[in-house]
Amino acid sequence: MLLNLDHIAPKRLAAIDNDGKQVTYAEILRLADDITTQVTERALCFMMVDNNVESLTWVMASLISKRLVPLILNAKTDEALYKNLLQTYRPKYIWKAGTLQRTDYPIVPLHPNLSHLLPTSGSTGSPKLIRHKYENIEAAGLNISTFFELKETDRPLMVLPLYYTMGLSMVFSHLRVGATVLITNRSMTDATFWKFIKDEHATSFTGVPYSFQILNLMRFFRMDLPDLELLTQGGGKMPHDLNVEFAKYCRDHNKRWIATYGQSECTARMAYLPAKWALDKVGSIGIAVPNGELSLIDENGTPITTPHTEGEMCYRGKNVTMGYAFSLEDLTKGDERNGFIRTGDLAYFDEDKCYYIVGRLGRFIKLFGMRVGLDECEQIIANDCQTECACVGTDEKMVVYITDATKQQAVKETLVEKTHIVATSFEIRLIDTIPKNEAGKKLYSKLENK
Amino acid sequence: MNNLDKYNDIFAQVFGAKVEELGDSYSKENVSAWDSVHQLNIISLMEEIFDLMLDPEDIMACTSYNAGKEILAKNGIEL
Repeated sequence: MLLNLDHIAPKRLAAIDNDGKQVTYAEILRLADDITTQVTERALCFMMVDNNVESLTWVMASLISKRLVPLILNAKTDEALYKNLLQTYRPKYIWKAGTLQRTDYPIVPLHPNLSHLLPTSGSTGSPKLIRHKYENIEAAGLNISTFFELKETDRPLMVLPLYYTMGLSMVFSHLRVGATVLITNRSMTDATFWKFIKDEHATSFTGVPYSFQILNLMRFFRMDLPDLELLTQGGGKMPHDLNVEFAKYCRDHNKRWIATYGQSECTARMAYLPAKWALDKVGSIGIAVPNGELSLIDENGTPITTPHTEGEMCYRGKNVTMGYAFSLEDLTKGDERNGFIRTGDLAYFDEDKCYYIVGRLGRFIKLFGMRVGLDECEQIIANDCQTECACVGTDEKMVVYITDATKQQAVKETLVEKTHIVATSFEIRLIDTIPKNEAGKKLYSKLENK
Repeated sequence: MNNLDKYNDIFAQVFGAKVEELGDSYSKENVSAWDSVHQLNIISLMEEIFDLMLDPEDIMACTSYNAGKEILAKNGIEL
């Protein structure tokens, strides 16, 4: 049985949502049985989900039954993208608005280990999907529940989308221990969101950097939330000062602050910074999750063993997914990674083997033969000019998009000062908003880089 | 720039909205891009431009162009 769910007390609540809907562990298993009866052959199913109990129940029941292999998508997916995916993957089933429909597409073979598919984060319009196997679900459930020390009495608040790897892994790890997921589709700036967190006595909150910017703006530090015991962050690097503020608050209020690192390609979490180091090593992604292994390699693929030496970070563990799918035929493919992945992120580790991400491979340009990290420049601008930006570019020129017209001159001056590169190499452009996906990650592909 | 221009400019910055679009119907219900990220940006800009510290109640209430005006009025900013 997936995640040993049959060992959880059947009457326990698995999830509660913002509309007051609830589901028990037994009800999820019952739906899984129904699916097994109804769906006689393994088949692909597009699942158009919202952050509510019904969607969570159907996703989990499909995974348990192993008959429906879901591609988990936002119910509000752009029409053109949805049609493109439909034509590419021709699913036998579509689950939408609470009902399972059969389509006229024929049944096609699926790899026996294929559990579910997620869109690649950050890219829209692309049919590139991530192929997960059942073993990934087990590994994510085990690893994540272990390092967060999750327990049956936990009531995690889930604001991250179900179709987003970190949201989904929250479900896996909490159901594994018999906890009750508080799933919400409300905006964090909505009063009903705050009523839900208080009324349902949420014990933990998981967010991406911008979630914590909202918490801060909502005067979170002045709120009385005695049940809230754990705050966890993933989905990119937090602004340094905000990270410190949350870490200090948690230290002073007997709560845990745990920053994490992960990728969709690895069923979410791959590293975490233990709460004891939250302040001492702020900005670090910490150590590998239990049962995982981080390492660094240099440009020649040789392992790096000296602290403070930059290299490409690699990961080994059972949560590494099988690979990508670009077409229907790819769904028959087996594991192409065998538990190992090069992350594409540049990092170094310190004396305690805590890792620090310094940039992303491919996210750099060469100006006058000098390597200039785009993420590093963004960090510089964020720190020195206190403004949001997105840096893209070619080896000719860096293009910096900012939203604050008053900062144009300051941004240019800062970059020139810090990089010692001539001012004409930087073009500062104004944009209304930096394009981002729903998880708050910047969509660089939507910005003109020339 | 007078205060109203500054206020309108926030919407230009956050949504790329033109002055003509702004009015009674410019709200979370009618503007599809208006999510928590945008609301966060409106609030941040309002605080920065008018040198305010808004309450969570104000932040939650800031769901339309008109509501934002009321919040400013409540905080003593004349438009």
